[in-house]
Amino acid sequence: MTFVATNRIPFAMLSPFRLPRVSLLALLILVFGVASASAIDLENHPGKAIYQNLCLECHGETGEGAEDVDADPLMGDRSLDSLAGRIERTMPEDNEDDCVGSDAKAVAEYIYHAFYSPAAQAKLNEVKADVTRLTRSQYLNSLSDIMGYFRNTYHPPEIEKFGLDATYYASGRLKVEKENEGKDLFKKVDKQIRFDFGNEPPEVPEDKKFVPEEFAMQWTGSIMIEETGTYEFVIRTRNGAFLNINTYDTNSNNPKTIDTWVAPNNEIRDEKVKIFLLGGRTYPLLMRYFKYKADKGYVELLWKKPGGILKTVPANVLTTVRSHQIYTPTTQFPPDDRSYGYERGSSVSRQWLDAVTDGAFEAADYAVENIEWLADIKRDDKEREKKMRDFGTQFPEVAFRRPLKPEEKTLFVDRIFETHGVTDEAMRQIVLLSLTSPRFLYPDTAFDSPEGPWARASAMALALWDSIPNRDLRKRAENGQLNNPKQVEDRAWGMLHDGRARNKMREFFNHWLELDKAYDVSKDSKLFPDFSPEVMADLRTSLELFLDEIMWSEESDYRQLLLSNEMFLNERLGKIYGKPDLKGSFQKASLQGQARTGVITHPYLLTAFAYHDSTSPIHRGVFLTRNIAGMTLKPPPEAIEFKTDDFPPHLSMREKVTELTRAKACMACHSMINPLGFSLEHYDAIGRWRAKDRNKPINDDGVLETDSGERIQIKGPREVAEFAANSDSSHRAFVRQLFHHSVKQPALAYGPNTMDDLQTHFKNTSFNIRYLLVKIAVAATRQTTPPKS
Amino acid sequence: MNTHHDRRQFLKSLGISAGAAPFLSGLPGFGSLHAADQSGKKQRVIIMFSPNGTVPEEFWPEGDGKDFKLKRILKPLEPFRNRMTVINGLSNKIGGDGDRHMRGMSCLLTGTELMPGNIQGGSDTPAGWASGISIDQELKRFFQSNEATRTRFGSLEFGVAVPHRADPWTRMSYAGGNQPVAPIDDPGMMIEKLYGKQKDKASLNGIVAGVSEDLKKISSKLGSEDRKLLTEHLTLIREMEQEISHQDDNNTLVHPMPEIDPKIELVNDNTPRISRMQIDLLVNAMANDMTRVATLQYMRSVGQARMQWLGIEEGHHGLSHEPDNNDDAKEKLTKINEWFAGELAYLIQKLSDTPEPGADGSMLDNTLVVWLNELGKGNTHTLDNIPFVLFGGEKTTGFQMGRRLNVEKSTPHNRLWLAIAQAMGHQIDSFGTEIFCNDGPLKLA
Repeated sequence: MTFVATNRIPFAMLSPFRLPRVSLLALLILVFGVASASAIDLENHPGKAIYQNLCLECHGETGEGAEDVDADPLMGDRSLDSLAGRIERTMPEDNEDDCVGSDAKAVAEYIYHAFYSPAAQAKLNEVKADVTRLTRSQYLNSLSDIMGYFRNTYHPPEIEKFGLDATYYASGRLKVEKENEGKDLFKKVDKQIRFDFGNEPPEVPEDKKFVPEEFAMQWTGSIMIEETGTYEFVIRTRNGAFLNINTYDTNSNNPKTIDTWVAPNNEIRDEKVKIFLLGGRTYPLLMRYFKYKADKGYVELLWKKPGGILKTVPANVLTTVRSHQIYTPTTQFPPDDRSYGYERGSSVSRQWLDAVTDGAFEAADYAVENIEWLADIKRDDKEREKKMRDFGTQFPEVAFRRPLKPEEKTLFVDRIFETHGVTDEAMRQIVLLSLTSPRFLYPDTAFDSPEGPWARASAMALALWDSIPNRDLRKRAENGQLNNPKQVEDRAWGMLHDGRARNKMREFFNHWLELDKAYDVSKDSKLFPDFSPEVMADLRTSLELFLDEIMWSEESDYRQLLLSNEMFLNERLGKIYGKPDLKGSFQKASLQGQARTGVITHPYLLTAFAYHDSTSPIHRGVFLTRNIAGMTLKPPPEAIEFKTDDFPPHLSMREKVTELTRAKACMACHSMINPLGFSLEHYDAIGRWRAKDRNKPINDDGVLETDSGERIQIKGPREVAEFAANSDSSHRAFVRQLFHHSVKQPALAYGPNTMDDLQTHFKNTSFNIRYLLVKIAVAATRQTTPPKS
Repeated sequence: MNTHHDRRQFLKSLGISAGAAPFLSGLPGFGSLHAADQSGKKQRVIIMFSPNGTVPEEFWPEGDGKDFKLKRILKPLEPFRNRMTVINGLSNKIGGDGDRHMRGMSCLLTGTELMPGNIQGGSDTPAGWASGISIDQELKRFFQSNEATRTRFGSLEFGVAVPHRADPWTRMSYAGGNQPVAPIDDPGMMIEKLYGKQKDKASLNGIVAGVSEDLKKISSKLGSEDRKLLTEHLTLIREMEQEISHQDDNNTLVHPMPEIDPKIELVNDNTPRISRMQIDLLVNAMANDMTRVATLQYMRSVGQARMQWLGIEEGHHGLSHEPDNNDDAKEKLTKINEWFAGELAYLIQKLSDTPEPGADGSMLDNTLVVWLNELGKGNTHTLDNIPFVLFGGEKTTGFQMGRRLNVEKSTPHNRLWLAIAQAMGHQIDSFGTEIFCNDGPLKLA
């Protein structure tokens, strides 16, 4: 064992999860099924004297810890039994025999009810929702949807009518001649844009008159953007082409997303552009291509998704359905605070203020330039002035998520029209003032009471979409249709049918499963010659298809995420993962004999949580312990790094890790981590099933010591999955993470029983995730602490 | 989305933020007064393009040598008669693929053939981009390779009413074969490129006042803990406010940014205003030594500008096709070319009015200006006798000005570029297609 710093990863950094500070995390955590503390007389509790005698010196009056002592604050979500067991075994440090048996039980009970349990913490420190600003995601989505509001833009949850509408022209100039009687024109749907014509014309029916020398094509439709981020688009062609994303403009004199109309030498070339797009939205797409007096024809539209690889834009993101332009701010924001384990708008900085100001200027310019479209002003419209005035009056209402009060109308609208008249400049000023106002930027402060219908609509839109209420939601708020939990619940169900809800859930899965960790994974090419970035990209698709299917199925069963033995495979993945006969694109395959069990054994995660040349039971174990089993881990006491060469070569990975973590200090956590990590030893560093490691049969047995002190015999991933699917702590962790991801506030701020109620509900609905999401949206409308005077 | 911001990046006038200023002033071309070039001798080149040929009878001056008389088209440049050389006899000899508008445009500054390609003109074979570098980019490369002549941008490409399409008719500047350089025809974008992201000061002040008021109002309804974030926000707003009020004091540029409206809409009828803005920005950028090479491209080859500000409804290219006996068309074409000459006169006047920073004389003394066209004459599409005129730069080129210079008919224009390159100290033996430089540089001294 070595403790020296080397260039390999130290143990402290092995943890694939950035630990939030324990004190903060614990504050937000409630234990399921806590007995009421009121029945217990803490003042005269026998445990109190023991605490003061043996514990107080290091742990402080209320468990907060003493100066210069390395003790974590005494608060958390262990059960009372677990706490007692731990005290019995480990406390006081170096004099463990001083507090055992009934003493340990008594002091545990005192600690638990006095300050350890979340309920006790809630009593000590009132938990309420913080006043926060919009997060980056909330800001971008809100701003886009404020513009979209004026066109009532709809964001479909999924694509229908795959592909693009294609028009083929026999003329290279996209001209249609009357005398050709339609023989020079052909329309169809193309699934994707990828054509190697060689020196042939495109495939058209026999009665059409197309020649190889010249022809042209135009494709229109929309592209579904699943995830917010920067996308690279590439036109690969030997000929002339241009692409427009977010406009159907065909005027050759206007700017284009990619313009590569000129084709020197008939050579293949790539023309690229990077653009930032918002997830959960379908963007207009138009592309034109032409061949003229050239030998060969080739055209392809490719893209690289955030963190992905360059590939032909697939049919499943293309639709023939046309879309509205999506306003997409380009302003760069500083990252939000994630120290609580989820993004929160809990701080402001000059960088943020500059971004907000830039964002407002950009939006004001857009509004002025597109006022005809936004305000539905026709050419020579007699109602032009009225429509502009309406737009100006509505804009702050939409941004502030509620009707304006008279004094606000004066400030944000009337005063500006008085100064500037009904002009472009007035529009500009209204947009600028609305979008820099705290009423827009701090949604909680916009309402006098969090109980009103407008506040409810706002909370729902933020929870499910990261955005503002749309027309439907506003109408319901206005008509008193959000007045009780039933009405809110009904509407929340409807709101799930929206691309933005899909996007937000996808972001949740990214966060829960730490999918972004897998970007730039590489593997030893000698050991894994089949592995490539293309395989990793396919695995990502496979996992996303799996998650999407379960999440948005009728059952939406959380347990299926862990227990399903089905996996999506395509031809390439089939060859590696045990289905060599599989042909074509993604389809569901059931992998018998390999004990595949949901996300736990999905090769994407197994590959991400592994070294480049070997498995890593510790990475995998930490991930399973925290994210799947929902148990808490402290940072390791020592930074020890794993060096495979420090061990005799004949040892299996399991033997090496066991040896490395043998020390008592390590085993406090590794008694949980190791058995979970070892359960996956049948899967190599790219997630293929294997029978042996170093010529030794794999041993995936283990005894798992749970948070609550139970010792459970487990064998292999299936039993781990079953344990997690049925364990309260797993459920609770899942509910908590989904709540935080949706609402971005501590659950306790929405009532002391919020977590318990949600968890009970989750259980009673057969762990239906969609229903849980709906209930979270309902809970989000119940904030208990209004802004105070 | 980019499509529309490309056109209208018109955030105005806060100038450089306090954070950016130290960084920018460390760059060449963003220096303060004391950093001005000590030697004072700077060599600069500006190339101005206008399309569709000229009207020869109204363009070529009467007489020869020093004894020449300007006709209508060059009349607006009369004040600079002694500082101009009108060169008669130069031809664009580049053959190969592409119609004459395409070759006229894309071989004009490159002096080399077009690649075979897919773009079909009104005649001849289809073609692609030029296969070599253009003279402005060649000079940029030369200047940038030397510490003493290096500037922040190396070159700037200005456009006026150039459409947003990329083809051999819209591009004359090439960083190399197949690498057309797009001119920037939006003054707002150019301001942002030169002076950083700008914000409208009046609007900013409005925001600052509005937000401060708003923050205070809302804070007063909140408990002290909830107020914290808003209080920090207010502090940042005050910081911003102070920056705005101090911003004017911090302007360390030799020549402050010109006061122009960057929000101007890029439509045909605004062309005269855009033209002046671009010229102001060009001269300003050179005065601040951000670049020593610039191009100024009006419209494009085959451009159909409708110069309603001259009382002309028809498109320029259409008019240029009218036969010689159409007096009305000829009159209009003359007016159009007079207008271009007027814009050139504004540019030259400005250079001549601006003292050379850190040296005697005016900027014009050190700035060679070339005016050219892709055709000799519109209705014949001839690439012979293209109207080339040189101005200024005498101190650094040694060229002799104040004359009409008749060179042998059909002299390849490559030799002019070779002469200019050598006058700038760039000792190359040929430029563009080699055979056209066999007779060496044009003699202009």
